[in-house]
Amino acid sequence: MDLYFIVFAIMAVGAGLFTITAKDALPSALGLLTVFIALSALYLHLHAPLIAIFQVSIYAGAILVLVVFVIMLLITPDEDLENVQKNMSYRILGAFLGSYLIAVLAIGTKGVKDLLHQQTLPDGFGHPALIGDMFFKQYLLHFEVASVLLLVALVAAIYLAKKNI
Amino acid sequence: MAGINEYVILSCVLFGLGTIGFLTRRNALILFMSVELMLNSINLMLVAFSAARADMGGQVMVLFIFAVAAAEVAVGLAILICLFKHVHSVDINKFNVLKW
Repeated sequence: MDLYFIVFAIMAVGAGLFTITAKDALPSALGLLTVFIALSALYLHLHAPLIAIFQVSIYAGAILVLVVFVIMLLITPDEDLENVQKNMSYRILGAFLGSYLIAVLAIGTKGVKDLLHQQTLPDGFGHPALIGDMFFKQYLLHFEVASVLLLVALVAAIYLAKKNI
Repeated sequence: MAGINEYVILSCVLFGLGTIGFLTRRNALILFMSVELMLNSINLMLVAFSAARADMGGQVMVLFIFAVAAAEVAVGLAILICLFKHVHSVDINKFNVLKW
């Protein structure tokens, strides 16, 4: 384990904790932004520069701006949403399920390294040109389907937000 | 470089945090952000395995997840705005009626 990983892992987990414990939605969104930035730094460490750039531009840029915009739109000053659910069974179930998931996954994946043969990375691994090559040769159909999905989602979002349904 | 184990554990912790946030909060917008947190933890896992196996398919899959996440956010927030027009609140405990 190196210092770079530790710094950004602590940053990601701390900001994630802040995201789910913040009282209001807006500080929570800022916590989420910090998670995105930390994860982007980790992607750079994992030889994925293109993913790191998209993480900042799509997640921290487009998606988070949309979320913050809706938070501003739906702000209700007189409404005091407490930190957690009033319904006690939800709280117990949520805390139990979440901790159980963390524990089981963390224990269960402890030996995952032994299952993989550590390979040396080929030259230019994660280079944007190579990813583009894969995109437009091997995954061309998936790429087109994703673009149609985005178009449908856009039309649906405009329809839902505009009309009085 | 940190080994794959550390990345997998970090990813699991983030996913668990997302689950806890999703199940224990009342604010619908924060539930939304918890889902984003879970999606991001899965992205981290995919990129970590992609580096460990020297296979770039994982990175391509992450880019597809970006597209799906963008679509999900667009439609989800539109539904939220729709619900807000009826209930005038973002408290999920008030979203318990499907038909008005």
